[in-house]
Amino acid sequence: MEIQITIFGQLTDITGSSLVRVPAARDTEELLTILKQQYPALGTAKFVVAVDKKIIQGNTALTANSSIALLPPFSGG
Amino acid sequence: MKERKPRQIFVQGAISPAFIAESIQKHSTRHDIGGHSIFLGQVRADIINEKPVAAIEYTTYEEMALEKMFEIREAIFAKYDLTCMHVYHSLGKVGAGEICLFVFTSSKHRRMAIDACTELVEKIKHELPVWGKELFEDESYQWKENK
Repeated sequence: MEIQITIFGQLTDITGSSLVRVPAARDTEELLTILKQQYPALGTAKFVVAVDKKIIQGNTALTANSSIALLPPFSGG
Repeated sequence: MKERKPRQIFVQGAISPAFIAESIQKHSTRHDIGGHSIFLGQVRADIINEKPVAAIEYTTYEEMALEKMFEIREAIFAKYDLTCMHVYHSLGKVGAGEICLFVFTSSKHRRMAIDACTELVEKIKHELPVWGKELFEDESYQWKENK
């Protein structure tokens, strides 16, 4: 179950791309562990995770159809 | 009451003063309006490490932003007695001195329009997934942080 993650704002400076793929992750906790291994700078970066366009609070289960995004602090306006 | 649906708020590039003037003009047929409140966000040429900001480039998570804006709009309509509400936010490059955010509320009396406008601007700044990248003349950049 390949998982696609959309990356926004300053986090794209860390990942070098606005789309990142990981082979599999059951939930957001596992996903973040994998991502932080792949991109150590994410460990100190400020961001929240959105699953299906909602910002999640705790660990959240993922499916192949989940749309996942990493959102750094907003700076619109 | 007519059903409200998420609507587009994003425009490519700067918001032109002519567009703002036209928006105001369009309300002249609404004779129940007694007061408008308008907030305009303008790109500031901050000096950072001796270099002035030449432009801000905005990006968004559009589907999420439009859903969020719909929620905000509903909450504001529920809280304030407004005749109408319009929000436009730029995407892409907006030069220093140009308008990047246009928030426009109208009501029977001034208080509702002013308070709703103020709360809307705060919500837009804090809750919409939009990011600004401050671009310098020499093509270097830094990511904007909202105060």
